[in-house]
Amino acid sequence: MKFSSLKGYAFLYLVFLYAPIVLLPVFAFNSGTIIAFPLKGFTLDWFRDLFANQTLGLALKNSLIIAVSTSILSTTLGVFAARAGTRFKFPGKPGVMGLIMLPLVLPEIIIASSLLVVLLAVGMPLSLFTVILGHTLMATPYAIAVLNAAFSSLDRSLEEAAYDLGETKWSTFRLIILPLVTPGIISSALMSFTISLDEFIVAFSLAGKETTLPIYIFSQLRFPKQIPMIMALGTCLVVASIVLLATAEYFRRRGLAKTGAKDTGGFL
Amino acid sequence: MTQLNAARAPLDSRAKMIEFHEVHKYYGDYHALRGISATIREGEFFSLLGPSGCGKTTLLRTIAGFEDISSGAVLIDGKDMSDVAPNKRPTNMVFQSYAIFPHLTVGENVGFGLRRDPRSKAEKAKAVEEALEMVGLKGYGARAAHALSGGQRQRVALARALILKPKVLLLDEPLSALDKKIREQMQVELIKLQREVGITFVLVTHDQEEALVMSDRIAVMFEGEIAQLADPETLYRRPNSRRVADFIGVMNFLPAQILGEANGHVQLDVGGLGRFEVTEEQASARASGAEPVVGFRPETLTILYEGQQAHDREAPATIDEVVYYGDMTYYDVKLDGVAAPVRISMRNVFGRPVLDVGTRTRVAWSPGALVLFR
Amino acid sequence: MAASPLKRWARSEAVNGYLMISPTLIYAILLLAAPLVTLVAYSFFTDGYLVVIPEFTTANYSQAWSDPIFRAILTRSVIVSALVTLVTVVLAFPIAYFISFHVPATKKSRWLFLITIPFWTSYLIRVFQWKVILNYNGVINSILTGLGITDHPLQMLNSIGAISITLAHAYAPFAILPIFVSLEKIDRSLLEAGLDLGENRLMTFWRVTLPLAMPGVIGAVMIVFIPTIGDYVTPELIGGGKLPMVANVIYQQLLKIDNKPLGSAMAISAMLVVAAVALLFLFLNRRFLRGSK
Repeated sequence: MKFSSLKGYAFLYLVFLYAPIVLLPVFAFNSGTIIAFPLKGFTLDWFRDLFANQTLGLALKNSLIIAVSTSILSTTLGVFAARAGTRFKFPGKPGVMGLIMLPLVLPEIIIASSLLVVLLAVGMPLSLFTVILGHTLMATPYAIAVLNAAFSSLDRSLEEAAYDLGETKWSTFRLIILPLVTPGIISSALMSFTISLDEFIVAFSLAGKETTLPIYIFSQLRFPKQIPMIMALGTCLVVASIVLLATAEYFRRRGLAKTGAKDTGGFL
Repeated sequence: MTQLNAARAPLDSRAKMIEFHEVHKYYGDYHALRGISATIREGEFFSLLGPSGCGKTTLLRTIAGFEDISSGAVLIDGKDMSDVAPNKRPTNMVFQSYAIFPHLTVGENVGFGLRRDPRSKAEKAKAVEEALEMVGLKGYGARAAHALSGGQRQRVALARALILKPKVLLLDEPLSALDKKIREQMQVELIKLQREVGITFVLVTHDQEEALVMSDRIAVMFEGEIAQLADPETLYRRPNSRRVADFIGVMNFLPAQILGEANGHVQLDVGGLGRFEVTEEQASARASGAEPVVGFRPETLTILYEGQQAHDREAPATIDEVVYYGDMTYYDVKLDGVAAPVRISMRNVFGRPVLDVGTRTRVAWSPGALVLFR
Repeated sequence: MAASPLKRWARSEAVNGYLMISPTLIYAILLLAAPLVTLVAYSFFTDGYLVVIPEFTTANYSQAWSDPIFRAILTRSVIVSALVTLVTVVLAFPIAYFISFHVPATKKSRWLFLITIPFWTSYLIRVFQWKVILNYNGVINSILTGLGITDHPLQMLNSIGAISITLAHAYAPFAILPIFVSLEKIDRSLLEAGLDLGENRLMTFWRVTLPLAMPGVIGAVMIVFIPTIGDYVTPELIGGGKLPMVANVIYQQLLKIDNKPLGSAMAISAMLVVAAVALLFLFLNRRFLRGSK
């Protein structure tokens, strides 16, 4: 009895989780201009609007530039930190790691406002670059969390063995460590990419006159006329993120199969 | 019969392969190696034996170059190694975890160290195949390394280290992860392999039996120091301290009273055994406390059955406990006049009954098999 | 001869560790530590309308804390965050429990995947969808009037309840994952021991499972509470801008009104409140860990 009621609750909870997502395509293909039931009829107009929208195209391009840069930067910084954290002992390590991981427990508005204050104080003009700086700061702790798992499962004697067999420290890193942490690096890159692509408040504060995808969406949500197009955009984003997640899962499984490690669950 | 027991050049006449000169190692305040000095000869099978934390693995890693020493010197083949990195040393290592690269095949693992080798691809492939054959893994080259069993990983690790023809092969507890049967099989194979390739093997182990079976010489280590360095037989028969005696096998101890010394002999009075004398050679070991004790191994005593005569001496005793092991029986017997029982091991022979607890008996012993710790 | 001191220094673990961590550390110092220090400094400086005058003053704090509106907003932020946290964690616990105890081991990762998918789609759009659902002519009201249950559509938006539901949805996976992890760590034989010792299932849950899951619950509380108190989007979209929270007023002061010292003082105040709550929970967590030993 208890089992089935818990299962029923789980089902309701999934409905709660997915309701907003499921409604996206419902209204994206609905020909009514007002987001309300009953539905009017089927249309592709909103998707047509979407792909014809040049401001949106520019915002998307900006967001992709920022997200790709953030992904590369924070994963690189994450590799350094995860390697240092899992392989070396040094005095003051908890403090150093604490500072680096701090953005995880800071409200985003604090990160946004402190960065804004400093960037204005040193006279750096707000641009896509300043958004990349902010997003990298935010995404690095997540990258480290993912990479830590990958690096800490490395047996230290593997690198000693390579070193012992005549390789240098650098070639050991390239031949042994890097291939073994590649699934972690891919997960980290995807995660940072997604965090950056979706981030609003830091971008909103640091982008200056530039527009990113979330800034554009936020600006359009005020206009009821634009909402059906936003629904179409949301639908596309959902599909894109599912494809991205499936890819990530595929790489993770392949990495596991290659090294024969045990499956310990999702890449989260 | 293989060349297991083949006659080889005596150790002393061979070249020095590894020399430790007053090696010290500190980790912060912790003094891990306390002035190690020793010489390992060419072609020797040398073991570092001791409990965990005694510094044996640290000492092994100073040979490989994974640990910097704080003072002193490590020489390999006459050359000071202090500024030589691990990848430039003529040593290769078999790791406790085997450290098989999980993303490579068996063949790629074995051939890993040949990357910088100028030989042609075909020649390298041949070398890999030969190395695999040597460890009994012929034809395994294309397999995924992570799919191997423990014993097979061990062999891959050996082949991978030996393919570079090092002057010294270092083995860090290579058999500890294997189960008993495979471990015993691998012990024999390792000895054969060492005879075959003829290079120096340095083995770290905490298993005294393994060290006794495999080694030419053994260094027993406690707390960063070598307590005794000797061949297995000397170590077993003439441990130089009560601690070494305790660590290697089982030894019985009885308090002894020293009556006097004369003409290279020490006169003793031992409760349960009576008065007798031992040679100075037998009396060179250190006791752990102030009280002198005599020690003897369980198999140096024999329980006498009805009608049997002792070759040397005998002492009356009562059987206190019997533990039956199939091929052996362990008896704890109380010598008359001694409260603590001593252990005696007897091989079970057809037609000879296992004795019951409480049986009165006589124990045959010989002063020559004793060690005096003082 | 041992290696020369310089060489040994260069090879030492500490030096290599610092070298390895330095790019990330320098980044964090320049873009996190320095800005936070600046923010603290600004909060004690004097506002000269368009410029900041580096004269020490505590006026910003007294102005912020004596302002009834700021106090009300800060209180509202704490109440909303606490409510959101409570709702999120209470809703999440049974799910984490279900996945950990009733889903076969091979299907667990699939369930976790299922729960995290919605989290990977645009935060803004997810928040906005709740407006679509809760609107005057939205999904729920359409259903209610369509079924003839009511003629008067319910006014659900622009309320603390609406804000709470929206945020509870947004942070659901953050609450489920840590609770799930702590439930997974529970040795199943302990529960059997509980049942074996004559406790019924409910008592076993109450006396064994729940205390052992507490670190995960407290982790979930922190992970949900901290970002929600600083949320900007939901009060704007779901609260209709009529129920601003602390992030909205900080943003207002720093960018719109451009009173940086006052904005900084508000940001630091909000951070202190968050830190105080976080420390309280860390302290509780430590007590729980000690209690369970």
